[in-house]
Amino acid sequence: MTTSSNTKTFTPARPIWCAGCGDFAVQGVLEKSLNKMGIPPHKLMLLAGIGCSGTIQNNLKCYGYHALHGRVLPATIGAKLANPDLTVIAAGGDGDGFAIGAGHLVHTFKSNPSIMYIVMNNSNYGLTKGQASPTSPIGYHDNAEAGLDSMLLGLSFLSTTFLARGFSGNPEQLGQLMEAAIEHTEAGRGFAFLEVLSPCVTYYDTHREWRARVYNLDTDESYNPTNRTAAFKKLLELKEEGHIPIGRVFKNEHPSLESILLNKEEIAPAQQEIGHNDHRKHYDLFIKAHLG
Amino acid sequence: MTSNNNSQPVLEDVNVIVAGQGGDGSLTVVTMLADLFRNAGLNVYTERDVLSRIRGGHAAATMRAFTGQRYCIGSHIDLLVALDEEAVEKNAHQLNPKSIVVFDDSSGPLRSGLLPEGTRLYAAPFNRIAMRTMRRELYKNSIAFGIVGRLLGLEDDSMRHTFTKRFERRGQIILDYNLEALDLGLHLADEMGIKEGEGIYKIELREPEEHLLIMGNESVAFGFMVAGGRFFTGYPITPSSEVLETLQKWLPRCGGVARQTEDELAGINMAIGAALTGVRTMTATSGPGFSLMQEGIGHAGSGEVPMVLVDCQRSGPSTGMPTKPEQSDLNIMVFGGHGDFPRIVLSPGHPDDCFYLTVDATNLADKYQCPVIIAMDQALSQNIASVKPFKLDEVIVKPGKRLTPEDVAKLDTYKRYGFSEDGISSFAPPGTPGGMSLVTGNEHDEFGLVSTNPTNRVKMMDKRFHKIEVAKKELPKGRHYGDPKAPIGFIGIGMMYGVILEAIEYLKEKGINAQYLQPRTLWPVLDDIYEFVDGCERVYVIDLNAQGQLAHLLMHQGVDSSKIVSICRYDGLPYRPGYLVNQIIELEEKQEAKAQ
Repeated sequence: MTTSSNTKTFTPARPIWCAGCGDFAVQGVLEKSLNKMGIPPHKLMLLAGIGCSGTIQNNLKCYGYHALHGRVLPATIGAKLANPDLTVIAAGGDGDGFAIGAGHLVHTFKSNPSIMYIVMNNSNYGLTKGQASPTSPIGYHDNAEAGLDSMLLGLSFLSTTFLARGFSGNPEQLGQLMEAAIEHTEAGRGFAFLEVLSPCVTYYDTHREWRARVYNLDTDESYNPTNRTAAFKKLLELKEEGHIPIGRVFKNEHPSLESILLNKEEIAPAQQEIGHNDHRKHYDLFIKAHLG
Repeated sequence: MTSNNNSQPVLEDVNVIVAGQGGDGSLTVVTMLADLFRNAGLNVYTERDVLSRIRGGHAAATMRAFTGQRYCIGSHIDLLVALDEEAVEKNAHQLNPKSIVVFDDSSGPLRSGLLPEGTRLYAAPFNRIAMRTMRRELYKNSIAFGIVGRLLGLEDDSMRHTFTKRFERRGQIILDYNLEALDLGLHLADEMGIKEGEGIYKIELREPEEHLLIMGNESVAFGFMVAGGRFFTGYPITPSSEVLETLQKWLPRCGGVARQTEDELAGINMAIGAALTGVRTMTATSGPGFSLMQEGIGHAGSGEVPMVLVDCQRSGPSTGMPTKPEQSDLNIMVFGGHGDFPRIVLSPGHPDDCFYLTVDATNLADKYQCPVIIAMDQALSQNIASVKPFKLDEVIVKPGKRLTPEDVAKLDTYKRYGFSEDGISSFAPPGTPGGMSLVTGNEHDEFGLVSTNPTNRVKMMDKRFHKIEVAKKELPKGRHYGDPKAPIGFIGIGMMYGVILEAIEYLKEKGINAQYLQPRTLWPVLDDIYEFVDGCERVYVIDLNAQGQLAHLLMHQGVDSSKIVSICRYDGLPYRPGYLVNQIIELEEKQEAKAQ
C-alpha cells in the first residue's frame, strides 16, 4: 500500500484539561499502549463522547470522531461492524456513559462487539462545572443517590468478556490493562470495558482519597477474574469495606457481535467497492422472490 | 360493473374487501387473491386496515384487480367478505346495489336492513364448519376462500397452486390443513350453486406480463441494496418495520449488516458510525422514532455524514394512531432539528417509484455528504402493488468524492472539510494512510478541529448550504399528468398519487379539466412546482394532516399563494378517488357561485 507520510493533515490539538487532570495520564498511557501494540494511526478510529474527556480524539493522530452526547457506543459499534479491520476505541466520561448513554452501555455488554471503551470517571460533571454525576457518592453536592458501579453492572451480563478498572494515579498498571484491552479487541474476543478513575482537580479532587481507597486485585493472588460469582462477592465485600477495586476484574469467552453478524464469505461492508456488481445474483433472486 | 350471473362480464376492475376481527386472516385471503390475479396477468393493489394489536379489533384488507393502470383502492366495493356482523356494519357504506356479500353466519343470520337494496348475499357458517370439521377456527378464512375464488371466476387448481405457494414453507401439516379447508369451501360453493367457471366474472387470461408483488417498504429496502447500501440499523416501529425485516433477510447475503438496535437513538448513531467508514448507510422509522432521531440528523448535517433516512409516516402526534396513514411529518422532515443544516427530502408515490427514488437518495447522500430523507406514509409503505420488474441494468451507482491511498499520497495537505467550488469536500475513509481526520458536530475548521472563529463559521455554514444549491440541478423532478392547459391543478404526494391520477380521469368525465404534479423532491422546493402553479388557475394541495403542512411549505417557499386551495384530511382514513372527486365538485361549485 502506498504510504503518504508526507501528506499534511490536522495537527493534533493540545488538551483542554486543567493542569493535574487525570485525563492527561489516560491519554499518555493510551498513546504508549497503542504504540507498543503496533497500531498504525491510519487504522485507528478514536470516537469520543461529550464532556471533558470527550476531547481526547483531537489530541491524537488518528481518525477521530466526536459523537453526540451519550451516543459514542452506537457510533463505535457501527464503525466496527462496517470495517472490522479497524481498531475502534470509544472514550468518554461517566456522565456520557452511565447517565445519558447508560442504555447503550447495557446493550453493548449484551452484544459484545470487539471495541474498547475507556470511561474516564471523575464522579462529577466537570465540563458543566461540577454537578453530580451517576458515580457521585451520597453527600456530594446534595446528591442523595448512591453511585453507580460499572464493574458490578458489567458482571451481571453473561456476555461480558472483559472488565477492568484502572487509576490515573497508577499509570503502570493502567498501561497493562490498556494493552490487555487492545489485545482483547484485536483478537476479536469482544467488548473490552475499561473504567479509569480520573480525578477532577477543579470541581471534585478525589486524588488523595482514591489513592487511599484503591485495592489492587492484580496483586491479590487469591482473586480469580474468571470466576464471576467470586468476583461479584469480592467486589461487594471491598465496597462495604470502603475500598475501590482496581485491576483486571473479569474475563470470559463469548462470541463477538461482528463474528455473529458479518458474513465471513463476503467482503466487509465498508471494504466493498461502491458500485461493484458482484451481488447481481442476489438482486435477481430478490426480484424472483416477488414474481409469481 | 354488472353482477349479472348469466352474461358473465370480463373482469376489468374489481374491489374486494375481506373484514373481520384481527387474527381472522383477512390479510392472508387478500394476499393470496392478489397473487392469483397477478398470475392471471392483471394488475393488483392491496390495502390493509388494522388496529395496533395482534388479535381482535376490526381488521380489514382490500384488494383491487384491474386490467388498466390503477394505483389505489377504488371507490366502491364489489365483493365484501364479512367474517362477522361488525364487518358488514363497518363496510356497508362502501357497497352499492350491485355488490355481493359473502357472510359468515355462524353466530346467526345477518340482521336485516344492513345491506343496500339489491345486494346479493351468500351466507355460510365458515367458523362453525371449521370448528366442526377441523377443530380449529383458524381455517375459516381458507374455507371462505373457496367461495370467494369461485365467485370471482378463479380456477380451482390455480387456487390450490397459490395455497401451496403460500403455506408450504410453514410445513406439510399446515399446508395439508389449509388445502383441506379450501376443498371444504369449494364443496360448499358447489352446494350453493357456484360451480367452477360459473362465477360473477370471467377472467380473461392475459398474456402474462411479469409483475412483482411488492410493498413500498420492500422497494425502499431493495433500492438501497441495489444502490450499494450495505449497512442498515433500525428499531421496529409500525409502519416501517418491513424495511428492517427485508434488509435483515437480504443484506447479509451481500456482505452487509442489517441490525435491530436497542432504540432509535442507537439506530441513527450506529448508522452514522458506520457511515464514517465510507459504507452507504440507511435507517428507517416512523414519526415517534423520527422525532428521537432529530439530534442525529442535525449532527449528520453539520458533520457532513452521508446517510439515508426513511420516515414511514403514520398518524400523529405522539403515539397517535399507529396503523393509520397520515402525512404529518413534513414539517419535521424539512425543518426539524436544532440549528441550520442542509438536507434533501424526496417523496415517492408508488412502490415502483420507491425503488428508483431510494437509489437516487443513496447516491445523493454519498455525493453531497448530507442526510437524505425519504418521505413515505403508511399506505405507500405497506400497500402491496403489482409493478414491472425493476430495471437493474439502468441503475447507476456513483461513488462520491472519495480519496484512495494513492490520491492522498499525491496531496500536500488533506482537509476533511476543505472548501471547494461545489461545497463538497473529498473524503478519505478510515484505514487510508495519511488521511487521518476529525469528524465532529461542533463547528470546525477545514481540518475538523473545533473552531468558533466567526469568519470560519460563516464560510463553513455557507459551504454546507451551497451543496444543496448545486444539488438542485440533479434532484428528481416532479411527474406531470393530465392536460398541461387544464385550469385546475393538483399537488399531492405519497399515497395520494394513485388517488389523484384516478380522480382527474373522473373529473374530466364530469367536465372538470385538471392536471396533476407529483413532486418527487420536497426539499429543496424545485422550480417545477412554481411553474406548475403558475400555469394553473387554481391548485388543490391535498394534505393528509390537520395544518396543511404541504400547502404551507410551498407558500413559505414563495409559490403563488393566491392560487393555492388547501384540502386537509386527518381522520386516519385513506382517500378514495370518488371521495376526492365529490370534494372538488363541491369546491368548484362554490367557486363558480362566488364568481357569479
